[in-house]
Amino acid sequence: MAAVRGTAPEPEPALFRAKLANVRPMVNMLKTISFRPRARCVINPDGLVFTVEESQCLVAQAYLRAELFTTFSYDVQLAEYYRNQEQAGFEAEDSQDGEPSDVTQVVLPLDNLIECLTLFYGPSGTSSSGAQSGAHSTATLHTSGNPGDLRGATTAVIAFNGPGTDFELMLEERGTISLCRLSTFVPEPSVDLKFSHYPTTQQLIIKSEWLRDAFNELDPTSESVSIYIASSEPHFRISTIGESGSTDMTYSNTERILDSFFCNEDQENQYKLSLILKCKQALAMSDKTKIRINQRGFLSFQFMIPTAADVSFVNFVFAPLVSADESIADATARV
Amino acid sequence: MRFRTLVTNSNLLLRVVQSIDKLSKSAMLKLTPTKLHIIVVTDLDSGLQLWSDIAVDALFSEYQIESVHNNEIYLEFNIDNLQRALRSTQGGALGVTLKLTKKQGLPVLSLTIRSQSASGREISLCQDVPVRMLTPQQMSQIREPMVPDGNVHFMMPPLNNVRSIAERMKGMGERVAVSANREGEMNVRVANDLVDITTYFRGLETLAYDTTQEHTADREASEFYTAVVDMKHFVKFLQSYHVAPKNIVCCIVEGYAVMFYVYIGSAGYSGAAALNDTACGSLTYFIPVRQV
Repeated sequence: MAAVRGTAPEPEPALFRAKLANVRPMVNMLKTISFRPRARCVINPDGLVFTVEESQCLVAQAYLRAELFTTFSYDVQLAEYYRNQEQAGFEAEDSQDGEPSDVTQVVLPLDNLIECLTLFYGPSGTSSSGAQSGAHSTATLHTSGNPGDLRGATTAVIAFNGPGTDFELMLEERGTISLCRLSTFVPEPSVDLKFSHYPTTQQLIIKSEWLRDAFNELDPTSESVSIYIASSEPHFRISTIGESGSTDMTYSNTERILDSFFCNEDQENQYKLSLILKCKQALAMSDKTKIRINQRGFLSFQFMIPTAADVSFVNFVFAPLVSADESIADATARV
Repeated sequence: MRFRTLVTNSNLLLRVVQSIDKLSKSAMLKLTPTKLHIIVVTDLDSGLQLWSDIAVDALFSEYQIESVHNNEIYLEFNIDNLQRALRSTQGGALGVTLKLTKKQGLPVLSLTIRSQSASGREISLCQDVPVRMLTPQQMSQIREPMVPDGNVHFMMPPLNNVRSIAERMKGMGERVAVSANREGEMNVRVANDLVDITTYFRGLETLAYDTTQEHTADREASEFYTAVVDMKHFVKFLQSYHVAPKNIVCCIVEGYAVMFYVYIGSAGYSGAAALNDTACGSLTYFIPVRQV
């Protein structure tokens, strides 16, 4: 190992570099989508988007806007230059579908990224800043309530210098510094469930605490969960049929429960329960959830998570289950 | 063969046994007229080893030991058993006696604890820890590893910090590179195909042992010495102390081992000053370089 003089060398890349005063908000956001080992990270002038997909039926994205960072610098011209270099040997149809050339995409090990960011969190299994451990609490993404509480106040510098290089993190807490390098991979064609390509037929915004209650009632022995939205009562119903019976959670369109409601077409769709449950952590952190269903029955949950800089979003899109007696052609014919 | 003593500092004895609990299931005890040695050898070739010596005066009084082999006694015991027996001594015992005896034909270390019940009557609790006697020949085969002079010695940063960081780095690799220089800087590094992490500790107190050695001329003070050891062994050592003593010295013998010296002295001293207070004893942890 080469000798290191003085303090750890700061990473010196030119393409992307951002500073975080506290890693916690980023860690919390990433944990909401950490059910897969690898994530695609897209860097653009407005921030970072981390995406994971599972079984080609679920795509989850966490949006970390530039405002969440203390400093955020992204060299668009350099990105375009690298992009053009990459494209030079390829046919036009190989280029990323619809992605502007000023965007940088890279695949990296998400679980390792989170492990690195939480290096100074204290004994494994606990969270050192006294804040509740994320999953079932309504923890906000502010730093721990007590301003005098310096525990868990890891600062980070994140940097990336383009395709073929490592994703770098420099973490610091109370004088101890860690330098982490994560291997990056060339992204494969992304799975895009194309939610926005079809009109949204149903949409509502519900306070997340109601949705959390519904999730707790879902029968885990059921393969699927059914979501029914209609313009008449009951406006919104979530149900499961399991080994011991069925559960129904219904919500009417009142101000107390639904912040907004729009239904163009009464529809009921089924989704795989085990996939739906992957958004529990995002749900736990959010204040409100926007639920949308499009003409093809695809479901979008947009979780609004309070952060120091306004609201941050985590999106989950689910493909509907096609019922046994309905072919895919029939399902798309519903359009 | 005879061994019998009053235990005046059962708390210290308990703490020492607790600190070796994570290392192995069993340990060896060598008792001499002046010292008590606890030895843990996990694997003669590649394992972590612990060698300790504690002055008998720091733990006992009215110490009686007799044997045909220079009045030394050697035995092997189960660490958890002895630990549990010693825990009974906590909480205000009037007197604690330790002796080697036979129960049902088998050798045991017998701990007798006299204390006072709530009603004022004296109660006596006896805890027997089965032991396996070792012959002088068996004992002579266990030898402290021959270690070349250390390249660099320094005081460890607070152990809790190093432990929690190392525990999180643990999953990333089986080997960890521990490096240090003579300017109070220590680096801990782990790497695998996907991730490479180096943690830098600064502002550590270096120790001046090395200035008398000849080899100090061959490297700048800022250059690092490295030993790559098994991550599990490194973490096991770090987990040995719930309440970490402030006086742990780390020594790197490049390409050979990482050693840790824990000095048992009176409380109150920390840093290099504690090293002068060697009245009671020391524990030496030896973590050999891991062969690939």
